[in-house]
Amino acid sequence: MIKISDLQKVYRTEEVETVALNHLSFEVKEGEFVSVMGPSGCGKSTLLNILGLLDDPDGGSFIFNGTEVAHFNERKRADLRKRNIGFVFQSFNLIDELTVFENVELPLIYLGVKGPERKQRVEAVLDKMQIMHRRNHYPQQLSGGQQQRVAVARAVVNNPKLILADEPTGNLDSSNGNEVMQLLTDLNEQGTTIIMVTHSEHDSRYSHRIIRMLDGQTVTENILV
Amino acid sequence: MIKSYVKIAWRNLKKNKLYTFVNIIGLTVGIVSCILIGLYISQELSYDKFNVKADRIARVTMQYTNGSGDARSAAVTGTKVGPQLHRTFPAITAYTRTMQYTNLVSTENKVFNEPNFLYADSAFFTIFTFPLVKGDPATALAAPGQLVITEKMARKYFGTIDPIGKTLKVNNARDFTITGIAKDPPENSQIHFNCVASFSSTRVSREEIWWTANYVTYVLLARPQDLPAVQRQITAYMATDKIRRETSQDGQDRHLTFNLEPLTQVHLHSSLDGLEPNGNITYIYILGGIAILILIIACVNYINLATAQSQGRTGEISIRKVLGAQKGQLFRQYLGESTMLTFIALILATAISIQLLPLLNELTGKSLSAASLFKPLPIAALLLLGLLVSLLAGAYPASILSNIRLMSILRSGFRLSSSGGNLRKSLIVFQFVISVFLMISTMVILQQLSYIQNKKLGYDKEHVLVLPANEEIHNSYNAVKAAVKQIPQVVDAGGASGTPAYVEWTDGLTANTETGKKNFTIKAIPCDADFVRTLGMQIIAGANFNPADMHMLDTSDNEKNFRYTFMLNESAVKALGWTPEQAIGRTVTKGNPGIVRAVVKDFHFSSMHEAIGPLVLFQDTQWISRIYVKVSGQQLPATISRLQTVWKTYAPQYPFEYHFLDDDYNALYKTEVRTSQLFGTFAVTAILLACLGLFALAAFTTAQRTKEIGIRKILGASLTSLAGMLSKDFLKLVAIASLIAFPISWWAMSKWLDGFVYHITLSWWMFGAVIFLALLIALATVSFQTIRAGLANPVKSLRSE
Repeated sequence: MIKISDLQKVYRTEEVETVALNHLSFEVKEGEFVSVMGPSGCGKSTLLNILGLLDDPDGGSFIFNGTEVAHFNERKRADLRKRNIGFVFQSFNLIDELTVFENVELPLIYLGVKGPERKQRVEAVLDKMQIMHRRNHYPQQLSGGQQQRVAVARAVVNNPKLILADEPTGNLDSSNGNEVMQLLTDLNEQGTTIIMVTHSEHDSRYSHRIIRMLDGQTVTENILV
Repeated sequence: MIKSYVKIAWRNLKKNKLYTFVNIIGLTVGIVSCILIGLYISQELSYDKFNVKADRIARVTMQYTNGSGDARSAAVTGTKVGPQLHRTFPAITAYTRTMQYTNLVSTENKVFNEPNFLYADSAFFTIFTFPLVKGDPATALAAPGQLVITEKMARKYFGTIDPIGKTLKVNNARDFTITGIAKDPPENSQIHFNCVASFSSTRVSREEIWWTANYVTYVLLARPQDLPAVQRQITAYMATDKIRRETSQDGQDRHLTFNLEPLTQVHLHSSLDGLEPNGNITYIYILGGIAILILIIACVNYINLATAQSQGRTGEISIRKVLGAQKGQLFRQYLGESTMLTFIALILATAISIQLLPLLNELTGKSLSAASLFKPLPIAALLLLGLLVSLLAGAYPASILSNIRLMSILRSGFRLSSSGGNLRKSLIVFQFVISVFLMISTMVILQQLSYIQNKKLGYDKEHVLVLPANEEIHNSYNAVKAAVKQIPQVVDAGGASGTPAYVEWTDGLTANTETGKKNFTIKAIPCDADFVRTLGMQIIAGANFNPADMHMLDTSDNEKNFRYTFMLNESAVKALGWTPEQAIGRTVTKGNPGIVRAVVKDFHFSSMHEAIGPLVLFQDTQWISRIYVKVSGQQLPATISRLQTVWKTYAPQYPFEYHFLDDDYNALYKTEVRTSQLFGTFAVTAILLACLGLFALAAFTTAQRTKEIGIRKILGASLTSLAGMLSKDFLKLVAIASLIAFPISWWAMSKWLDGFVYHITLSWWMFGAVIFLALLIALATVSFQTIRAGLANPVKSLRSE
C-alpha cells in the first residue's frame, strides 16, 4: 500500500540545516499495523507528516496505492488525504467550537456527503465508539479518553484505507489508553491499515511490526506477528 | 456546508466577545457614517432632477464688465432677457422670470409675513414640475393679480375651505385671486415657494430692461442637445452692434452677455447663488472621502483583529486542512464570518442612522427622512455596501487563514506564527494618519471661526436688535424712532437698507479727481443720520450726517437741485486718490451728485472671504428697510416687550418680528460652521474607532507576551518599565502617523484658508497640540491593557503558558 524509497527531508533555517529524513526506505502492506518508534528528533513526526500528505519530501519516492504522490500539489494532496487517510493525534485536536457530532461530521462535509447520509454514518460510528450519548457535548465537556474516542470516530467515519496515529495514548491514563488501543486493533482487524508513532513499548505490542528510527533512518525492524 | 460555516462563525463571535464587540461597534459606526453621509450626498446630487423637463431647462446668468473694467457674473438678469431670448431664438420655447420676497399676506382675520413669496411668468408651472392639485398650470399665472399657493398655505389661511377664487391681500395693498393650489415644492429644489404670484402683477413687468438685474430667469429649450448651440448664438447676438447700442456698451471696452447653466448643474456646480444658496461639489467630495475613510478605519480594525486572532485559530484551521478542507472552502468560511459580522453591523447601523437623522438634519440644514432609506435603490446600495465591507474587511484575513501552512502539526501540535505584524502596524499608522488629519483640520477650522467671531469688524454687532421697517413704520418713521429711544434700556436707534454684515446694494461712483475722472463700482448703504452712530462705526474725518440735509434730496424741477450727502469708507477714498481729510466737502456722483460729509474707518460689510472694497453711505430714509436698535443688554425681555408695544402702536397690521444683528453676521459663515461641526464629528468618530482597534490589539499583544512579562517581572521589572515597554511600540506608530499627517494637513488647511482674505496663520503649536493629544489618547487606550498585564501575578502568567 505504501512504498517509500530514498526519502529525504531537510529543514533549513538561516544558520542551521537539520536532516530529518535521511534516505529512508520501507514498505507497508495493506492491512498491516505498524508502529514507528525512536527517540525525540529521530524524524518520526516528519515521516508521519509526509505519509499523511501534510508535507512534501525534498527527495525520494512515495508511492501510495500505486501512485507516485511525492510531488503532488496541495490541492491533489488534500483530495487524496480526505478520501484515504484518517488521523488520530496525541492531543486529540478536536475543534472546540463544534459538538462531538459536528466534529465527527466534518470529514464527511469536506467529502461532499449529503446531509441525511452524513447523519446516519456519524450516528453509526458514534454508536460503535460508544459515545453516542455525548453527541451534543463540546470537547471541553468530555474526559480525555472520551475525547480520543471522538477523535478515532472522526478518523474512521469516512472509511479510510489508512489511519495515522501519533502517540494516540500519550495524553491518556492506562485504562483509557488500553481502550483506545483496542479500538485501533479492532479497526485493523476489519482491514484498515494503521501506522502509529509511539514511545510506548506497551502500545507497540498491539502492532504487527515495529520500525525503529534514529537520525532519520531505520535502524531495525521487529516483526511481532 | 453553509450551515456549518454559519454555525462556527456564530460560535466564534460568541467566544471572542471583546473582538466581536470591537468589530461590531467599529463596523456599525463606519456604516452609520456611510449611511448618513450617503443620504446627504444623494439628496444633494438629486437637486432639481424631479423636474420632468430638467434636461431642457437652463438658468440664465449675466456676465458683464463693470465700471472699473472688472469682469463680473450674476445669477440675476434684467426684465428684458427672458422675453428677448425667447423671441429671438426658436430653440428657446418658453421662459420664466422669478423674484422672491418676504411679503405680508393677509385674509380678513389672519396675517403673516410670508418668506418665499415668488413672482413668476405664466410659463412657470409648465416649465417646472410643481404639480397643481387644483387649477390649470397653463393659465394659473396668466393675468395680473393671480396667485398660486401651496397646499400648506391653503390650510394655513383657509383651513378646509376651497381657496380657489378666494383672495389674499398682499402688503396691505393689493388683492390677489387664488387660481391654483400647488403641491409643496420638494426639499431638493433650488426653487422654494409658499406663494407664486403672476409676474405681470409687478410694476417692473411693464417695461423690458437689459440692466437692473434683479430677476432669476429660466428658459426651456426645445431639445436638451440645443444648449451649446443656443449658448453660442446668444454670445454672438449680444456682441452685435445693435445690441451693444441697446445695452449702452457701444464704443466702450465693455461687454454684457448671458450664459445658460443647465438646471441640474446649478445647485452643486454654479458659483452664483440664485433664489437660494447653492451647495458645493467640493464639500460633496470631501464628505464622500470622509465616509470612505471612516469605513476603511473600521475595516482596518476588522483586518487587524482577525489576523491577530488568526494565530489562535491555527488549530482549528489545521484540523480542517488535515480532514481535507480545500483552501477555497476555508477562504469562504472565513469570508462568511466577516459577512455575518458585517450584516449584524449593517442592521444595527440602519437602526442607529434612523435615530441620528434629526441630528444630521440639524448639522446640514436638510430635512431627510427615514423613508428615503427604505426605497429599492438605497436598500440595494446598503446590501452592496454590506458585501463590499465584508470583502474589504474579510478577504485579507480569510486569505491569511486559509493559507496557513500545515507544518509539524502532527507532532508538536500547533505552532503560533506571528504573521502579518508589519501589515497590522502599517494599518494602525494609516488609521492614525486619517484621525490626526481630521483632528488638525477641525482644530484649524475652529481657530478660523473663532478668529472670524472675534475679529474687530469696524462696527459693533453685539446687543443690536433688528426690526423690519414696513410701510406703516415708514409713515411715522421719526415718531417711531423717538418712541423707541424713550425705552430706558435702548442706547440708540438708526435705520438703513439691508444689513451691514452683507451689503448687497451695488452702485456706480464717479468723481473728478486731481488725476482725472474716476468711475468705479461701489457698495452702498442708504441710511438715516443715526445709523453710523448706532452701530458704533468710527468717523475718521468730517462729521456725521445732519438730518437737516434730508431737505437737499429735492426731487422737484426734475431733480435739478437734488443733492446727496455721502460718507465714504477709507477704501473708497483711497480709490479716489485722496486722504480722508481731502475728501471732505468734495462732490462725487452716485446717480445724482452729492457732498462728502465724512470718511468712516473701513468695516467688514461682506464675508471674510472677500477683501473690504469701496463703500458709500448716503442719507436717504425712503430706502430704509430695517431699524437697528442698540440696547444695553440688561432686562432684554422687558425691552423687547416694550419695543413690541411701540410697534403695535404704529404698525398694528404687521406682525412684530425681530432678530439680532449677530444672526445676520453668523449667517455668512453657516457653511463654515457646518463644516467644522461635520469635521469635528467625524474626527471624534475616526479617533474613537482607531482607539478601539488599538485597544483590542493591545489586549492581543499583551496576551501574547504574557510569558515574557512574567519573566521580566520575576527578574525585577517595575510596573512603569513594563507598561512603558508595551506602550512604546504603539506610541511609535502614532508618532509616525502624526509625522505623515502633518504635511498633508498643513497643505490642505493652507488651501482652505486661502479661500479667506482674512484668516489666521497656521502655526506649529496647533499641530503640536493635536499630535500631543493623539499620543495622549493612544497612551490612555493602551495603558489599560499594559498596566493590567504589568499587575498580573507572574507565577500565574507563567503557568498559563
